[in-house]
Amino acid sequence: MKRYAYYLSCINESMTKEVDRSIELWQKDLGIELVKLHEGTCCGGSNLEYVSPKHFALVNGRNIALAEKMGMDLIVSCNTCLMTIRTAKKKLDESPELKNEINEILKKEGLEYLGTSEVRHLLWVLVDDVGLDAIREKVKVPLKNYRIAPFYGCHILRPSTVLGHDNPRDPSSLDQLIEALGGQTIPYTHKNRCCGFHTLLVAEQESLNVAAEALQEAIESKADFIVTPCPLCHTSLDGYQAKALKNAGVESSIPVFHISEMIGLALGYSAKQLGIKRHIVC
Amino acid sequence: MTVSTDQHKEGKKDVTFRVFRFNPQVDSKPYFDDYTIPVERGVTVLRSLNYIKEHIDGSVSFRAFCQAGICGSCGMRVNGLSQLACTTQVWDVLAKSREPGIIKVEPLRNLPLIKDLIVDMDPLVDKMKHYANWVDSTMPEAQMGKKEFLISEEEFLRYDKATDCILCASCVSECSILRANKEYVSPAVLLKSYRMNVDSRDSMHEQRLAELVKDHGVWDCTHCYRCQESCVKSIPIMDAIHGIREDAIESRGKNDTSGSKHAEAFMTDIEKKGKLVEATLPIRTNGVVWTMQNLLPMAMKMIMKRRTPPPPPLVKSVKGIKIFRTMFREMTEHVKQDHKSHKK
Repeated sequence: MKRYAYYLSCINESMTKEVDRSIELWQKDLGIELVKLHEGTCCGGSNLEYVSPKHFALVNGRNIALAEKMGMDLIVSCNTCLMTIRTAKKKLDESPELKNEINEILKKEGLEYLGTSEVRHLLWVLVDDVGLDAIREKVKVPLKNYRIAPFYGCHILRPSTVLGHDNPRDPSSLDQLIEALGGQTIPYTHKNRCCGFHTLLVAEQESLNVAAEALQEAIESKADFIVTPCPLCHTSLDGYQAKALKNAGVESSIPVFHISEMIGLALGYSAKQLGIKRHIVC
Repeated sequence: MTVSTDQHKEGKKDVTFRVFRFNPQVDSKPYFDDYTIPVERGVTVLRSLNYIKEHIDGSVSFRAFCQAGICGSCGMRVNGLSQLACTTQVWDVLAKSREPGIIKVEPLRNLPLIKDLIVDMDPLVDKMKHYANWVDSTMPEAQMGKKEFLISEEEFLRYDKATDCILCASCVSECSILRANKEYVSPAVLLKSYRMNVDSRDSMHEQRLAELVKDHGVWDCTHCYRCQESCVKSIPIMDAIHGIREDAIESRGKNDTSGSKHAEAFMTDIEKKGKLVEATLPIRTNGVVWTMQNLLPMAMKMIMKRRTPPPPPLVKSVKGIKIFRTMFREMTEHVKQDHKSHKK
């Protein structure tokens, strides 16, 4: 059983509780254990870094230091938390001065940022550590009748200088996971595009237009559902779906799943157990 | 429309360029023309287009000048990605082509089309003018030409990368928000505004910033990083956008716009609870009236699905919040000190 420190994203603690609930169901089936980091704080959601770059470094240096103290990598299941914490790590690793400054403060809690733990997305752990063959072996209910649109979202791909796992122009890890679970991925040009989440409250119209385009392509391609590794993309594409599609004059809908739910379904758990009924579009 | 070699020699291939065609004076809708030509290793997309124009079809229209990645004229989409035709190697693109042996060439997005691969750059130029993206000197006119205007190396480093921009508009073409609304300021314009705003020789900082924080300005960016990823000069464009936002909060206050209020909420909540209080985020960003008008129907659906974020009193602070808060506030003191020494 490989163990990891698991970062608790704000949104998974409030609006998308089904993400962590479904991971808990199947993690041991796939030979991993995610140890919840209850002391971890909000990463700043791609905003704190310009509101106060130094607090941003402190907060996320601390999040990583907590995982380092446990001797584990820090695993994240929200794209924006992933990008944000990795950005802080890059800044700290490139600036000994900044690292010293935050470590002076972190001493108070008996913590030190060393730079020894990696910050990784759950999707990367599944593809790289658990392995596609091992996942394939565990599948009880192959998703063979499903045409699936893989929506990666931005912050698992870009900026590639910070993320660096998939090719941001032609990502493949989510496609590979879908295929390992027996599903069929569809060609989907919006796979590496934006969901509009980060402007939902500031430029709502633009945000809805961005979401509608992604939804529309999946609907026109006759996908059965969209799957995303990011709860923020899920909120934009599921929670705001009705509004976005109405706005675009589209009279249709499409379910949007988290990767954790898609895995759960293939491993034999029910939609009810996985919390899929909590989605706005079911 | 084919000029093909008799045999494939090593280092030479027949390549099909699928070129977007549209002449609004003649055509009712756009179409693609295929041109198959022999291409040697080392040949760029622009050289291939020149060959097509000279040897096969003189009517294919595109814009190009320096042929060396300096002037920014030949921005176009090659296999879907906005880039310079003159610095893009045919063989590199071919290696990643979905359809073997075929390279699709299309005009940039988000700018009006003039003909084939040529887009109208005027909207971009107009925005550059609107945000006054030039140095309006602080030097009194009487001193001009008599005195050097020195800047420190430290200051220059703040906008060194931004000055690399050649206005090719690849970032404009890739921008998610511009795709949704053509009135949006555009990444290239924000980059240039940032470069001017941090230049100590410039006198327009406040006026420029006042324009940038308005609707369709700097706060509408959705942090998708497509601009940065497509930049042909590898300029960290998002750093410039974040830089303008940081400056806006510092110079104009955290309650200036919905964008600044939204950003500041993260800082406040992290200090208070260690996590974001999502339930009140719309109200704190846009006020009660906006929230009721815009989010009430969705909130009802979310209540039905038990999906609403908990109200503030029910948001539990993270474990160890007391010591965390002490550390957070210690960093606040560091930042205050930094500001003092910076002002000196």
